[in-house]
Amino acid sequence: MDWIGLLISYIFGFIVLNVLLLCMAYMTWFERRVLALMQHRVGPNRTGPFGLLQPIADAVKLLAKEDIVPANADRLVFLVAPLLSFMLAPLGALVIPFGDSLTLFGRTVHLYVTDINIAVLYFLALGSVGVYGIILGGYASGNRYSILGALRSTAQVISYELVLGLSLVGIFILTGSLSLVDILREQEQTLTLGPLQLPNWFILSQPLAFVLFLIAAVAETNRAPFDLPEAETELIAGYITEYSGFRFSFYFLAEYINMIVVSLMASTLFLGGIDGPFARGVWWLILKALIFLFFYVWLRATLPRFRYDQLMGLAWKVLLPLALLNIALTGLVRLWGLGLL
Amino acid sequence: MTHLTTAHFLFLSAALFIIGMVGVLTRRNVLVIFMSIELMLNAVNVSFIGFAWEQQALTGQVFALFIIALAAAEAVIGLGIIVALSRRLDTVDIDEVRQLRE
Amino acid sequence: MSIQVLVFYLLAIVSIGAAAGVVLARNPVHSAIALMVTFINVAAIYVMLRAEFLAVAQVIVYTGAILVLVVFVLMLVQQQDLPEFHGGRPLRIATGFVLGILLLAEVLAAILTRSLRGQPGPWTPDAVAAVGGNIQAIGRELYSAYTLPIQVTAIVLLMATIGAIFLARPETLAERIAAARRIFTISLGHPKGTDLGPIGELPAPSQAELKPASFTRPLILAKSADEFTEQPAWGEVVRR
Repeated sequence: MDWIGLLISYIFGFIVLNVLLLCMAYMTWFERRVLALMQHRVGPNRTGPFGLLQPIADAVKLLAKEDIVPANADRLVFLVAPLLSFMLAPLGALVIPFGDSLTLFGRTVHLYVTDINIAVLYFLALGSVGVYGIILGGYASGNRYSILGALRSTAQVISYELVLGLSLVGIFILTGSLSLVDILREQEQTLTLGPLQLPNWFILSQPLAFVLFLIAAVAETNRAPFDLPEAETELIAGYITEYSGFRFSFYFLAEYINMIVVSLMASTLFLGGIDGPFARGVWWLILKALIFLFFYVWLRATLPRFRYDQLMGLAWKVLLPLALLNIALTGLVRLWGLGLL
Repeated sequence: MTHLTTAHFLFLSAALFIIGMVGVLTRRNVLVIFMSIELMLNAVNVSFIGFAWEQQALTGQVFALFIIALAAAEAVIGLGIIVALSRRLDTVDIDEVRQLRE
Repeated sequence: MSIQVLVFYLLAIVSIGAAAGVVLARNPVHSAIALMVTFINVAAIYVMLRAEFLAVAQVIVYTGAILVLVVFVLMLVQQQDLPEFHGGRPLRIATGFVLGILLLAEVLAAILTRSLRGQPGPWTPDAVAAVGGNIQAIGRELYSAYTLPIQVTAIVLLMATIGAIFLARPETLAERIAAARRIFTISLGHPKGTDLGPIGELPAPSQAELKPASFTRPLILAKSADEFTEQPAWGEVVRR
């Protein structure tokens, strides 16, 4: 029983979790500043230089609020549902490789918490179970609007989860493995497109899958333009109507952590993760994840919201057939060579 | 009892199956009966996978996979029937479903 | 006591406890939550028994799809207060428990006195690692020896989908025709309007509706920048 290895994994996991929580807090700042600048405003700039202490101010405010539990609510489930959302969110970051393995004191220290051979499926499974935070939160509020908002949100999440999973099957066909370490290794190869020698990043060999993954990821995390279930003008506030104070913030923090984990996942799966021109390392991963996070905020600032039936129609009638088409094409190209992949 | 043997997971499988069976026999809420049926299917899966582990063959795992797929199909139809039934009879008490009895 | 057995005991006890919770809970939503806990614990046991793909399939399909469906139906069907289902029929409950205990005793006797020994198969842990892991091994097994059952399962799932669509179709014929017509429509915000009918074709508001209800000052629509200086700004105090 490799106790030292287990201890190293635990310590690394602890570090990853703390960094993730810090990034989530500053993601709120990032979003508010970028959103404001895109809307020709300034955003928070009073609390600390450039408003950098704003997340702390928000946390203090939310903690100081009264904790209200509606009389009609199912008390235990009301307390547990936001925690469920919040606990499941960072678990996706456990399988992402943050760098190549180091050798310290004669031991190989891996810069990932664990390398399971089903890493991507594990990430999809977390999304599947994350639905419960929403549906139980809506049910527990004891409020008809909350239940309806929760059902809508759940239907949206499970539809786009399907698209998310199917869009990644092309990558599995090309790699032959579901482990993120293997996928990264595959992306280190060179792809020869005629005279060009490019790294074999899957955004180049699977562009359709990339677009589908991006759209499905935005819908999975309930972000604009797919944020109808939590829009202020619809259904009051959907499944979070009755939540206030820090419980309310659990849902939003879970959403931000989901965004960050999905951005890390997208950079690892499609953009080669830690791979970069001069020096491989975690800085490239951070840069690519920042690109995706900026893209998320940009979408929110720019696009209007989808109506619920448009959103569901898009998932089932457009994205799902395209994902299946992508799988078929990738399989055919892989089977018959065509000298491409 | 110091190492994991067949008896361990067979006992778990039996316990889950029997709890599911008691649920089907005892409860009146159609949806809780349905959940107990899923519990029984899970118990059988545990048994299959335990044997696959012990015999170092994958047949058990493949079987369990098919059981999961078929349980999904059965869940879809079963829940559709429950929804249609509850719309008609306005209740989910299984004792109220006695159309064919009279 | 190996670590494996300790972990197994922990997971098994929680699974059995949660399964008991499914059957004993008064509120069906609590039953569903207990069932979710059971499923996830059973998935953890599968990981321990080196069936990682089955574990993830269990979480994605059972917890993430089937149980979500069950909770959906719970929400849709039980929106009013329900009578207590525990009250009454003590004979049935007693019979159920007695039968359960009898079966448990019987099965325990069988487990502890007999032993099952089958032919050891080819997939030793080294063989599984050689093909790259549990998923690759299952892939090889499934798509070589079990090709036909996969096709049959696919057809069964198709049948289930068709059955669900049939069971959920609207009551009247007119609604069914309208639903069928909407299949090939994807309304992504067409400028002309939506596929939902007259929402995009509401009449424009008339002049009377546009006029504000009560204003103490006349509403002046400025035609050039100079006219703006006539009106004081909002909140501005004009000193003449």
